[in-house]
Amino acid sequence: MIINSILSFEFPPINELLRWRDVVPGLNKVGLIAIASALIGTLIFLSAARKDPKVAPKGTRNLAEVIVEFIENNIIMQTMGRDGLGWTPFLLTLFLFVYLCNVPGIIPFIQMPATARMAIPMFLAVLVWVVFNAQGIRHQGPIGYFKNLMFPPGVPKALYILITPIELISTLIIRPFSLAVRLFANMLAGHLLLVIFALLSEALFQARDRILIPIGIFPFFMLVFLTGFEVLVAFLQAYIFTILAAVYIAGAVHPEH
Amino acid sequence: MEALSKIVKAAADAATGDEKNIAAAGSAGFAYGLAAIGPGIGIGMIFGSAIEAMARQPEAAGMVRTTMFLGVAFTEALALIGFVVVILLKYA
Amino acid sequence: MLTAFVNINSFSQVRVSFDAVSAETGSEEGAPVGPGPNPISPEMKELVWGAGSFIVFLILMRLFLVPKVRKGMASRYESIQADHEYASATRDGAQADVARYESAVAEIRSEAARRLEAARQTLDKERTEKIAQVSARIAEQRAQAEAEVAASRAAAQSQIVSAVTAVTTRATQIAVGVSPDSAVVSRSVQQAMEGKRS
Repeated sequence: MIINSILSFEFPPINELLRWRDVVPGLNKVGLIAIASALIGTLIFLSAARKDPKVAPKGTRNLAEVIVEFIENNIIMQTMGRDGLGWTPFLLTLFLFVYLCNVPGIIPFIQMPATARMAIPMFLAVLVWVVFNAQGIRHQGPIGYFKNLMFPPGVPKALYILITPIELISTLIIRPFSLAVRLFANMLAGHLLLVIFALLSEALFQARDRILIPIGIFPFFMLVFLTGFEVLVAFLQAYIFTILAAVYIAGAVHPEH
Repeated sequence: MEALSKIVKAAADAATGDEKNIAAAGSAGFAYGLAAIGPGIGIGMIFGSAIEAMARQPEAAGMVRTTMFLGVAFTEALALIGFVVVILLKYA
Repeated sequence: MLTAFVNINSFSQVRVSFDAVSAETGSEEGAPVGPGPNPISPEMKELVWGAGSFIVFLILMRLFLVPKVRKGMASRYESIQADHEYASATRDGAQADVARYESAVAEIRSEAARRLEAARQTLDKERTEKIAQVSARIAEQRAQAEAEVAASRAAAQSQIVSAVTAVTTRATQIAVGVSPDSAVVSRSVQQAMEGKRS
């Protein structure tokens, strides 16, 4: 209130921050970022695949191999083991797409993570849900999969009254919901924080009262710090999304884990 | 508690749009504050235990780190659902 | 339940607002229009574009790009492995060569030592032979010289004996007037000289 009255500064509602003009009808900035990230990922791997694999990797080839090894060593080997290596393309695509959709949130003049809108996280979460359920049904049969899901082995029979609904809800509803909401809410919260500090420092730098102008340094420092923090968050959220997808798929393929 | 009862009372009394907005904003802030308590404690405990485990067995650090991120992801989801509920209260 | 209800509710809202926005955007190109989307609910156009680009990306990666990159990595690892094996084989060969060379060197060195020893022994033998010869000759010459010395000494002694005999005979003749038997005189002179000597 006080700040508002001193600076004549009003924080815009969130939906105005997320309002983008359509580039062409039906395609806005978020769709453009999604297309660009798919394109960038494809280009990196296309240029990597065209290089001579025999010589020491450089440039995009090195980048692509680092990503592949990161997925294989830090995600698949940690959660699915050696026989999960066939999932490399899917998890790699998931990781790269989510990361490249997160990163525009901190690139100057773009400043909008595509995952801060619900559409892409929701689609990816539903896709992961479909994939892990399909894998469970394929590897354990429909009856065996739902039996293991509802009646997890190694639990006293009397506890099934309590556990069966919890397991069912948590696997079939909470998992995709939390997967989508985690990514979306993290990116939206980061975006809002950046917007808040950017608007606050702008309002202070342009204040009519001269004494307020130097104070604008503090929100500006906070803005720089949060941008650095968002670099970490963009990577971490892509990593967590991918590793949770790997854990769900591994749990559906091998129910004993 | 007094604040909560005031907010609830304001929300109940609110008939016109402006009063309802004010009540929604207040309860939204309160809801997020409540939603952040548990996950905050939980994430602190997870990181503390993970650091302890890594210090005791540095050779298991990779496995501990992976499990730590998984635990943080599950715990953090609660706080983020609180954040989403705040936006829902304000806009839906 | 609450969220599901809200979602369904806001989804329909957004559908409506999306239609309104696109209708207005079609009419004029300018500042952003409308109140903006609901911050929670997904927008249909974003969903379609995001899903479409992800699926295309996934198909490309799954069918062409990742297998190719992965195959390149595997082939490079294999070639590096093969190079490693070749290098270790070459190193083993080189080490065998070094061992052979060293054994040859040791053999030659022992051969040389043997020859040297043989030559040394030959020389030694010749030396001792020569020394023996020389010392034999020296001994011979010395014996010869000693014999000569003894002969000349005997000659001198006989001369002295004859002289002393003559002198003694003459002295006895003068003193006694009788010439003594020369054999007796010479024997006594001989005895006296040898007794004196011995």
